[in-house]
Amino acid sequence: MPLRLPSLSARSSEAASGYLFVLPAALVLGLFGLFPLFFNACISLFNWRIRHSTFVGLANYGEIFGGALPFMGLLASVVLIAGGFALASRGKKAPARLLGLALIAGGAAGLVFDLPRIEALGDPDMLRSFRVTVWYSLGTVPVQLVLGFFLAVALDGKFDGKQTFRVVYLLPYIVPAVATAAVFERLFSLRPESWANQVLALAGARPLQWLREYKGVFEMLFGSVPAGGPGSLARYWSAWAGGPSLSLVSIMIYNYWVFVGYYALIYANALAAVPRQLYEAASLDGARPWTMLRRITLPLVSPSTYFLSILGIIGTFKSFNSIYVLRDPSTGGVTDPMSVYIFFQFFHGGRFGYAAALSVVLLAIVAGLTAIQRRSMEKRVFFD
Amino acid sequence: MTEPKRARGPWSVLRYFALGIGAFVCIMPFVYMAANSLKTYAETVTRVSPNPFSPEFWPAIPQWANFSEVWLGDAFGHYFLDSFVISLVTLAGTLATSCLAAYAFAKLRFPGKEAIFSVFLATLMIPETVTLIPNFLVISYLGWIDRLAGLTVPFLASAFYIFLLRQFFRQIPDSFVESARMDGATNLRILASIVAPLSRAAIFTVACLDVAFSWNSLQWPLVVVQTPRWRPISVGLTRLISEEGPQIQLRMAGALISLLPIVIVYIVAQAQIVESISGSGIKE
Repeated sequence: MPLRLPSLSARSSEAASGYLFVLPAALVLGLFGLFPLFFNACISLFNWRIRHSTFVGLANYGEIFGGALPFMGLLASVVLIAGGFALASRGKKAPARLLGLALIAGGAAGLVFDLPRIEALGDPDMLRSFRVTVWYSLGTVPVQLVLGFFLAVALDGKFDGKQTFRVVYLLPYIVPAVATAAVFERLFSLRPESWANQVLALAGARPLQWLREYKGVFEMLFGSVPAGGPGSLARYWSAWAGGPSLSLVSIMIYNYWVFVGYYALIYANALAAVPRQLYEAASLDGARPWTMLRRITLPLVSPSTYFLSILGIIGTFKSFNSIYVLRDPSTGGVTDPMSVYIFFQFFHGGRFGYAAALSVVLLAIVAGLTAIQRRSMEKRVFFD
Repeated sequence: MTEPKRARGPWSVLRYFALGIGAFVCIMPFVYMAANSLKTYAETVTRVSPNPFSPEFWPAIPQWANFSEVWLGDAFGHYFLDSFVISLVTLAGTLATSCLAAYAFAKLRFPGKEAIFSVFLATLMIPETVTLIPNFLVISYLGWIDRLAGLTVPFLASAFYIFLLRQFFRQIPDSFVESARMDGATNLRILASIVAPLSRAAIFTVACLDVAFSWNSLQWPLVVVQTPRWRPISVGLTRLISEEGPQIQLRMAGALISLLPIVIVYIVAQAQIVESISGSGIKE
């Protein structure tokens, strides 16, 4: 059979239909997915309050960070730390590593000096929503990883009813968050007849305010930390030392309920891919279960761990639905991560320009986290 | 290959114990929702127990009228229909654009294909918070506030579904496509009568995920819906929560109504959904 080369016209018609087929999706994704990035950056340069707008340059960013100097200081510290990490981890020779560590220390010192100033001169609500986001990630992701992993171990292998358990575990994740959050809003209400307070009553404890409680849990447990004057380091640290508010912790509990089953399914998939021979060989060599877990299972599921932790951390920067339902306005924003704070600045405050500037900062943080994830994936995670 | 042995003995008991606790915790809030949706207002305050096995957890006489009160009095029937229309329109559009694009990426050769695909994927990384304000302004310039178009058009394509479908379309042998082409079939015809029918399961999964996504979405509808003309059920439920005050039984009835369609879709399609989510790891 003679070799048939596609004619030039056939090939160009294939290309034409290729572009034609991609076009509808490209139009939608371009207009509502990519163009907003540039448009958003433009909006952030205006004093845009619903309609009236004047060009104000970087003034919105100045308002966030309390002026050019603290902002430059923050940028410089972040660059120093990032550069320090790059040097310390890549550098083969001792001097390079030492220099890297020195850069990290310098950057950290810069942050210690700079952050209280940003809190005093800039937008303290922005820093609070950043703290909420950090607490929210720290309070949810590790707990969900551990609980999900143990459930996944229980889900591993073949047994009766496995599919039923998988379906039930994914149920909280798949159903509308507004509806299930409406239930948790009752379960953790401040009223004495709420489910959470009934459980406390069974244990003989007094009822708590739960979703209405603005105080930090560390503060409730250990008492408050004395705060210094505005702009002082003590003031800044006392805000952290109080810990996440009890209302935020209640929202975290809701988050566990939604995500632990999902984490378990992802881990179960990874566990199923671990070759059984590895365990057999290890047990022939006399390895104990704990050693096998540490040396075989955990390294082999590490891609899932990284995937889930990054997805979880970025998820806290995107979270909206459940917090919108569960937040109590009287707590003064102690449950609002950055995404929710930005929404309120935009939607209720009508400050389009300022909210756009805040969301550019959010995007920068998410992009930074994604870059860190890429790098650590390359280095530490074991792929087969 | 030998079949792995089914575990027996203490490990099996421990396994079912752990899984049982997990399943109980997953189900409990739904049970609470159902029990409280059937109580009278007084019972939600006085007849309470944290233990679902106690009769106090349940209503003395189920108040089915709560549901009709929410459906008619709080206009849940209206919200329900709105959400239904929004989901259907979004679904039809998303399936069309995603199948076309996925077919082009999987089976057609054209310059710049890989570059376009990675730009598509990049849109997945952008948080909704960042696109919210510019998209709101674009939709207002277009005059689509409070319109079906404003609620659906921004979601008529999804890079995630294109990515999923492309994976499936690529598994279909090129020879099928080539031989159909020899017979003079156009690409649209090949997609409609060969590639799509062979990928039914994948398209079905995408359809279910998309319905769940539109049914769940809250932030965007809150922003573009300003009158009751179009009000999806997620917005209706948040309004019910903030306006009904202490009427817990009505909130719970509303919540139950709003999650019922998704639970039905989920139960019908459970095998595919569980497989695709635990395999790909994303619901978007």
